[in-house]
Amino acid sequence: MTSGQMPSSAAADCAAEPIRTPGSIQPHGILLVLNDDLVLLHRSANADAILTEGKGSIDQILRAGGDLIRADLECSLPDDGTVTLRTLSIGDACWTVTAHRNDKAVILEFEETAANAGSLDTLYPQIRRSVEQMQATVGLEDLGQVVAAVIRDMTGFDRVLVYRFDEDWNGTVIAEDRNERLPSYLDLRFPAADIPAQARELYRLNRLRLIPDAGYIPVPIEGAGDLDLGFSVLRSVSPVHQEYMRNMGTQSSMSISIVEEGHLWGLIACHSAAPRRVPPHVRNACDFLGQIMAMLIGARVRSTETAERVVRHRIESRILGHMAAEQRFIEGLTLYPEDILSLVDAAGAAVIFGGECQLLGATPTEAQVMRLAGWLDARGHDDMPFHTTNLAGLFPEAAEYTALASGLLAISISQIHTSYVLWFRPEVMKTVKWSGDPKKDIHGGRINPRKSFDLWREQVRDHSLPWSPAVLDTVRSLTNAITGIVLRKAEEMAELTDELRRSNKELEAFSYSVSHDLRAPFRHIVGYAELLKEETADAAPRARRYLDTIIESAFSAGRLVDDLLHFSQMGRATLVPIPVDMNRLVDEVRRMLSQDMQGRNIVWKVSDLPKGHGDPSFLRAVWQNLLSNAIKYTRDRDPACITIRGDTTPESPIWTVQDNGVGFDMAYADKLFGVFQRLHRMEDYEGSGIGLANVRRIVERHNGHVWAEAAPDKGATFHFSLPAGKS
Amino acid sequence: MAQLKPILLVEDNPKDLELTLTALDRSQLANDVVTARDGAEAIDWLKYRGVHHNRPEGDPAVVLLDLKLPKVDGLQVLEEIKRSPELRHIPVVMLTASKEERDLVRSYELGVNAFVVKPVDFREFFKAIQEVGMFWAILNEPHPPRPRDQPMKVSKA
Repeated sequence: MTSGQMPSSAAADCAAEPIRTPGSIQPHGILLVLNDDLVLLHRSANADAILTEGKGSIDQILRAGGDLIRADLECSLPDDGTVTLRTLSIGDACWTVTAHRNDKAVILEFEETAANAGSLDTLYPQIRRSVEQMQATVGLEDLGQVVAAVIRDMTGFDRVLVYRFDEDWNGTVIAEDRNERLPSYLDLRFPAADIPAQARELYRLNRLRLIPDAGYIPVPIEGAGDLDLGFSVLRSVSPVHQEYMRNMGTQSSMSISIVEEGHLWGLIACHSAAPRRVPPHVRNACDFLGQIMAMLIGARVRSTETAERVVRHRIESRILGHMAAEQRFIEGLTLYPEDILSLVDAAGAAVIFGGECQLLGATPTEAQVMRLAGWLDARGHDDMPFHTTNLAGLFPEAAEYTALASGLLAISISQIHTSYVLWFRPEVMKTVKWSGDPKKDIHGGRINPRKSFDLWREQVRDHSLPWSPAVLDTVRSLTNAITGIVLRKAEEMAELTDELRRSNKELEAFSYSVSHDLRAPFRHIVGYAELLKEETADAAPRARRYLDTIIESAFSAGRLVDDLLHFSQMGRATLVPIPVDMNRLVDEVRRMLSQDMQGRNIVWKVSDLPKGHGDPSFLRAVWQNLLSNAIKYTRDRDPACITIRGDTTPESPIWTVQDNGVGFDMAYADKLFGVFQRLHRMEDYEGSGIGLANVRRIVERHNGHVWAEAAPDKGATFHFSLPAGKS
Repeated sequence: MAQLKPILLVEDNPKDLELTLTALDRSQLANDVVTARDGAEAIDWLKYRGVHHNRPEGDPAVVLLDLKLPKVDGLQVLEEIKRSPELRHIPVVMLTASKEERDLVRSYELGVNAFVVKPVDFREFFKAIQEVGMFWAILNEPHPPRPRDQPMKVSKA
């Protein structure tokens, strides 16, 4: 909160005012400044007027009480606060003496009290009862309610408010006890500017203030205009504050600071429409209750925070469970939006991982979220989890969607890729509940609740509710869990890649040695058998047939080795994909196969084919296998019909080869593309059974698909598709 | 008539050696054949080193070189020959058991003159050896083919 945001001069005046040294007091008491020997140094200007006949003079007071006061001062005057010393009766008047030390001076303040005003002892039963009630409450609002009621009961004010500061010092009225004389302020919100920082600091140090009558005329302290009255109970307040009170219709006010572990948590503010004096012992009782309340709040805040942590931790565990159970761990986040949102009380979330962006709940558009992720990327990940309650103040584009995402909480779940979980909270205006109409103009004047409300609204515009420490701890722990998973996956992947590389290398070495060493014996068998055949030219026909069979067997074993090697090379070779004219490829392959077609009557129906995207020499092998199969399995047809066509679908082109040959039983279709799988007897149709395995391998290495349909004796149809290349 | 240059056959496998020699014997070549059983021996013979420092002078008409050889393999022998200013003019035909692409590529990089994958079919093998022998041992020489009037002379390197 900077003063630049303040719309009027009033608040700014306030911030600059010398509130600790006003040089004057309120007129309902006397202030004397003494040295340690109780020699009078200064006095408030009203001393003589008040100390009229029958009430004693200053000399009388000092004489009568001197020794007692001296004794009190010696044993119990603290350096940093005010002590109510005692009540002195002088003549027919009773004076309550309050003292505190200021530098070298002792400041005594005298308030006249009725002889039958009572004492702290008489309030004790009520205090004890209230403390029990306070302890029995559950929420902070309930606690505030009990305190407001008992304080109003003890003091007789018309309205008692319990007012809580947020981290930006905006205040909210969380509890109230009142009669009909003053309007309700419950749930009203006040901007930080309403109470300037120096006033807050004074509230923290001096826990209790009383203004019995806002219409008072300040009484100067003679000769000590710059005296520090920070701890004074009679200190005169700022004229702006007096005006503020008049605007609120309150002639009298008292406030008690709720200070929790040295931190100003809030205020108990008491107002009444008419002037009201509160005797010191009642004020002390109120202060005591305020302190009890602060202690209870401290305990509650800590236990609430612990409870919050427990709840969030439970949700986090559930999310981790989802991540462990899902196939893709990231779906443990995206498939359970309620958990991921309630984890941090967000209205929307986005999970950006693996190039995908999933939106959950109320969020900006995907494009906006991706630009936001880009911005997060650019600013680096040093302060993750990144959190803000005013995204638009940092990332101007977010001004477009403050209703959805004024608050952002972001964790990065990968060091390398753009991977985030983002949570969004709406503008706080959307989340505030009102019990009264804050805009109702209750009073006129420069500062009043209505203007205060507008100011507050101005201040919280484009802001979300804050992200609590428990929320931040939770997402920190979730980040660790997720990055742990990501890291483990990456390690597994790296291990797998290593394994693959190793086994690929082994396979390569293996097939290399097979190609050299396994082929040789077959070659030798064929060679020596041929030589033997020559040597035994006139042997019996049966012997010659045996020799021919040996040669034939060794020969086909050799070819098998060749095919196998070719297949393994196909899997290893690097593909160089380019646009391929399939028409030309089919023409080439048909020319190449013309020898197989000699003496055959084949009717070709070839349509214009769409272009493909792939490695032409591999695609040629696909066509060669499909067409030679079509030719082979139609050889007892006259005429044989082979149709080649192409279809363009939205996803990818599909090429089809259809024949009217012997076909096959679809029951065995799953074996069709396996290595060395045959659906026909060897003596009926030659071949090693590796052709279609090659087709599938090539097509799948191009990320395409191959499939077939057929029926026995009704021909077969083969299709393959390839992804369209980038143009 | 000028002395025909010999053919240097480098082959470690005895069966392949016998089959290749049979194929050469049946061809119309009159050249003598010198055999070496590993790469080191082939290089020693070509460079008059070791036990061959006193051999009669003369380069082979062609080197038929198996790829997989003990000690120094075929590609290394090829590299030695093609790097040596005295030897690089000698035609080298690589004989190999497989059509592994990388062997082929490497051989041509090193300057091989021909590359023959030994076919499983003996008749094709015979034809291939004959063609290779004819081309490199005869066509590259200013001599017409002539029938042998005595058995093929095979000597060990």
